[in-house]
Amino acid sequence: MEGSNAINAPGVKVYSLLTDPSFVAKTLPDSEDVRVIDGSTLEAKIKLRIAVVSSALKTRMTIVRESPPTRAKLVAEGSGSGSSMKITSVFELSGDSQTTMRWSADAEITGVMAGIGSALLKGFATKKVGEIFMGITKAVEDAV
Amino acid sequence: MEPLFQASVDEVNRLVGLDKKELGILEDADAAAADLLVSEYEKYVERKFNPEALEVLKRRNLMGLPVSEKYGGRGGRQLVEALFLERMGQTGMGVITFADVHLCLGSLAVQDWGNDEQRARYLPRAAKGDVIFAYGLTEPEAGSDPASLKTSYVKDGSGFRLTGSKYLISNGSIATNLIAFARPAEGKGITAFIVDTKEKGFSVDMKLEEKIGLFTSDTSILSLDDVHVAKEDVLGEEGKGLSVAFSALLNGRIGIGSGCLGVMEDCLNQVKERTTSRVQHGKEVGKHQLIQRHVAFIESSLEACRWLDYRAAMRKDDYEKDPGNLALREDCDRLSAVAKYVSSRSAFESADRAVQCFGGFGYSIMSPVAKHFLDSRVARIYEGTDEIMELKIASSVLGRDFQAFR
Repeated sequence: MEGSNAINAPGVKVYSLLTDPSFVAKTLPDSEDVRVIDGSTLEAKIKLRIAVVSSALKTRMTIVRESPPTRAKLVAEGSGSGSSMKITSVFELSGDSQTTMRWSADAEITGVMAGIGSALLKGFATKKVGEIFMGITKAVEDAV
Repeated sequence: MEPLFQASVDEVNRLVGLDKKELGILEDADAAAADLLVSEYEKYVERKFNPEALEVLKRRNLMGLPVSEKYGGRGGRQLVEALFLERMGQTGMGVITFADVHLCLGSLAVQDWGNDEQRARYLPRAAKGDVIFAYGLTEPEAGSDPASLKTSYVKDGSGFRLTGSKYLISNGSIATNLIAFARPAEGKGITAFIVDTKEKGFSVDMKLEEKIGLFTSDTSILSLDDVHVAKEDVLGEEGKGLSVAFSALLNGRIGIGSGCLGVMEDCLNQVKERTTSRVQHGKEVGKHQLIQRHVAFIESSLEACRWLDYRAAMRKDDYEKDPGNLALREDCDRLSAVAKYVSSRSAFESADRAVQCFGGFGYSIMSPVAKHFLDSRVARIYEGTDEIMELKIASSVLGRDFQAFR
């Protein structure tokens, strides 16, 4: 999965926010019990929703600052209700006062949820990841 | 964009030969199927009608697939329509039901039996999706025996007035126009009418939501209470409505059979993914021989039914070029019955075997193969039950004197 979003904020500021676990904690959708563990790690219970069925997955997220101030990675690993997931998302920033955020994400889902098949999972994940990055974009713009 | 599903455009082209325009239609069909995958599943799990099917087919310019280009359609021959429905069938029978009724039972009936004025008035709007057709043959007491229908009409100064009830009508509550069949209050013969669903006296008595499957498709019970139909909206000759009905069903049966191919194809893809990734007794489930028996059944059913459905569609295309050839018409009738009969039974059994391959999760409403299991059952009933197909097929072999339903 991949996409891009335009953010009305300077790249350095965007990078700083997106690699701050306290800020990321505020942008997580469908989550509860969010806890910042240290400067690059947070934990939360994230609801994985497929149609009307949702599972709460206890998830640990790790931020890797690969190439400041333009490239970073967020790895989320979680399990619960018979399902496990690992989502690795990478974003790259370009531009100065206006920032373009290009992102890509790989998702591995195993267990009960995987039973719906890769084609459907990809469809749901693409929709969800797009919503997450839209949420991040809005949160960054509100914070600047 | 790479086609989402196994039956790629290239493979089909190699098998049957398609021109550039037809390949374009199938690329649009693959894109539409991909667009609909998530919403069809979501609505199925929620047990709700999916309005997205109409929007996606409109956006992909597929609402007028078999309609002549002269009337704003894409001029797809029956074979291309079969290939289109095969693709859409992979998202489930809900989309197939919507599309088959609008395209085969509605648009093609107007194209085949309407006069030039009717074609010009309805088909361009049907091709854009502004007109949506439903097909009103079945009644509470007239299912497999449509000649016993009770909806009646009387003539009045400006046309006709229809009164009666239509039962289990797909697209019934969303249609702008119903192809309705009625008999004269006094006299003989059945006539086909194009009814405007906005006319006074037309009502949706009930949306049938308590079905065992096919939740994403609209099924309604309709009431006609002295509904006005203009004389310009008689479809075909007065008193010859059953010819319209049976001809539409011939097209529809090829469509349902083709949709069933898509069901089998998705079952096969799902089973392949599941049985090559899930491990039981220390090895992938697919390495167990009894599971391989199910895989072999689905694969061989799919390949066998493809030939039946493509052949029925190609024979119908031959008949379109030679419409006076009654022997060809009878052969189309036979082949469409065989294709629908075998494909619908094979799709249901394939879905059943796919559920078995999935184990416990296969029985969950969340399982995509359970969706096919529940949805495909109806294909053995609507547009001609298994039993009616058997009688048609047998009498096509034994001769007219052996028609058991006479």
